[in-house]
Amino acid sequence: MTTAVPHPRHKLDELLQNPVRFSIIAALDRASTLSFKEVRDAVEITDSALSKQVSTLEAAGYLSVGKSFAGKMPRTSLTLTKEGRVAWRNHLATLREIAGSLD
Amino acid sequence: MDTHPALTPAEAQHLLDRADRLSRSAHDATRWPYIAFIVALGVATAMGTFAMALATGDAFGLAYVGTLAVAFALILFFVISIQGRAAFARSRRWTAYIASWFVTYAAALAVVIFAHGSVVLASVASGLILVVSFLCAAREARS
Repeated sequence: MTTAVPHPRHKLDELLQNPVRFSIIAALDRASTLSFKEVRDAVEITDSALSKQVSTLEAAGYLSVGKSFAGKMPRTSLTLTKEGRVAWRNHLATLREIAGSLD
Repeated sequence: MDTHPALTPAEAQHLLDRADRLSRSAHDATRWPYIAFIVALGVATAMGTFAMALATGDAFGLAYVGTLAVAFALILFFVISIQGRAAFARSRRWTAYIASWFVTYAAALAVVIFAHGSVVLASVASGLILVVSFLCAAREARS
């Protein structure tokens, strides 16, 4: 009897398969911390769409949301957490594994 | 039941390329004022403390006022440049850069105060400010 090796796609992170969430974490990968506006501009989506996906990622512990004030203006910052970075690295590693079968 | 959509190698490569592009563009679009600021601050304070360590009389006053003026101009430029995009300024990495610069700057000021006129010490202390600020800028540019 042979044991079938599961396809690497099964190791992909469910949350990061959503294109918007994928882009949010990609934008935060090098910078680590960005303001809400910076992420919105990088990902090119509306405030409400970003807000919805940020809540999902925050609930999963992938990013933390910081609130502060610059004068009277509220400022929101998004930071990739350690857990989020690990999930992102694993997701990218799996994608590389799948892409590797191109060679 | 398999709930994972099939992902071809070409699609996976496309996703990897997209992630890299997004990550780079988000980083580059937001970091240049920080990198420019840390380099300019390093150069200005290194030259200023070097001049102060060696100058006397009116020349010392000129070096002192000049350094202060440049430092304030840089801070003003920096604050205007990052308006509304200051999230990184509160990050641990940025705090480490500023702390590194401050420690070497304080050492250079100690040279100005306690070893005034020593070319060797002034060169070492000022050079250290340059090296530390360039290292911080390089680290940030490559991160």
